[in-house]
Amino acid sequence: MTEQEIKSIIHLAINDNFELQGSDEKASDDTVLFGSNSSIDSLGFVNIIVGVENQLKERNIDISLVSEKAMSRKNSPFKTVKTLVEFIQEEIEQ
Amino acid sequence: MNKIMVITGTSKGIGRELSQYYLKKGYTVIGCSRSESELLHERYEHFCLDVSDEKSVEKMITDVSRKYKKIDYLLNNAGIASMNHTLLTPASVVEKIFKVNVLGTFLFSREVAKVMSKNKWGRVVNFSTIGVPLRLEGECIYTSSKAAVEMMTRILAKEYAGMNITVNAVGPTPVKTDLIRNIPEDKITSLINRQAVKKMSDHGDIINVINFFINHKSNMVTGQVLYLGGLS
Repeated sequence: MTEQEIKSIIHLAINDNFELQGSDEKASDDTVLFGSNSSIDSLGFVNIIVGVENQLKERNIDISLVSEKAMSRKNSPFKTVKTLVEFIQEEIEQ
Repeated sequence: MNKIMVITGTSKGIGRELSQYYLKKGYTVIGCSRSESELLHERYEHFCLDVSDEKSVEKMITDVSRKYKKIDYLLNNAGIASMNHTLLTPASVVEKIFKVNVLGTFLFSREVAKVMSKNKWGRVVNFSTIGVPLRLEGECIYTSSKAAVEMMTRILAKEYAGMNITVNAVGPTPVKTDLIRNIPEDKITSLINRQAVKKMSDHGDIINVINFFINHKSNMVTGQVLYLGGLS
């Protein structure tokens, strides 16, 4: 799976969430997924992660994004779209 | 549209009865247990696994999701018990009971809720026991594990509400199953005498509560623990 394909899946999940919130915002590579600088609330963040996992599963990529390894990293892979793409690529390669 | 139900612990006891009941109702039932199932039905599929094994549970639910495209109901029935005084209870028993009853319920709820979230609808029913309100001596570990299941039920109800998934629990009085086969008759009698309705539950009593919880009209019913026999 290419970087662009992974990015598209994440963008789709984020945009679905923005739409659900009634927001006009659109996902970009720099969209912050959580924290005080993010316009995504905690439930939205959960929905995005689960949505991305579900989309990957539909493409026969069975990876869990919420591993202990991911959660305990010094630099969270869930910070932005860019870091999440990198993390997913790493997980797929393993 | 065909209803898809996942039931854990279907090789015997209540789980098997529940499977047969919902198959008769026309549902597709996906069951699991550590052992093979003797239940043969065109709409029944069985997975052999340990409900506390994360990878196995993830794989099962991924397979189910791919095949059936959705899951409507989850009955977290799998459970084990060991009745003994705490001074005679080894740590390995505590670990085993918590793994099956608490971790098993958690893993299935998490994985199935991910699938349910796609359709923004689902019903989860967990299993507790009247041992919790009665704070039964001699059942410390089993009852503590079910107290954890009750708390999980209440919190999952909050976490999943936004996805239109309800989470409730039924707390049966003793039912004639393998789970209580080693408990002396007089212990069961004295337990039943502490209930308002002084009799054992049968499978129909439990099914009645589950049907209420999973009913489409029960949208506002979530985070509840319903005990049989008049306990609260």
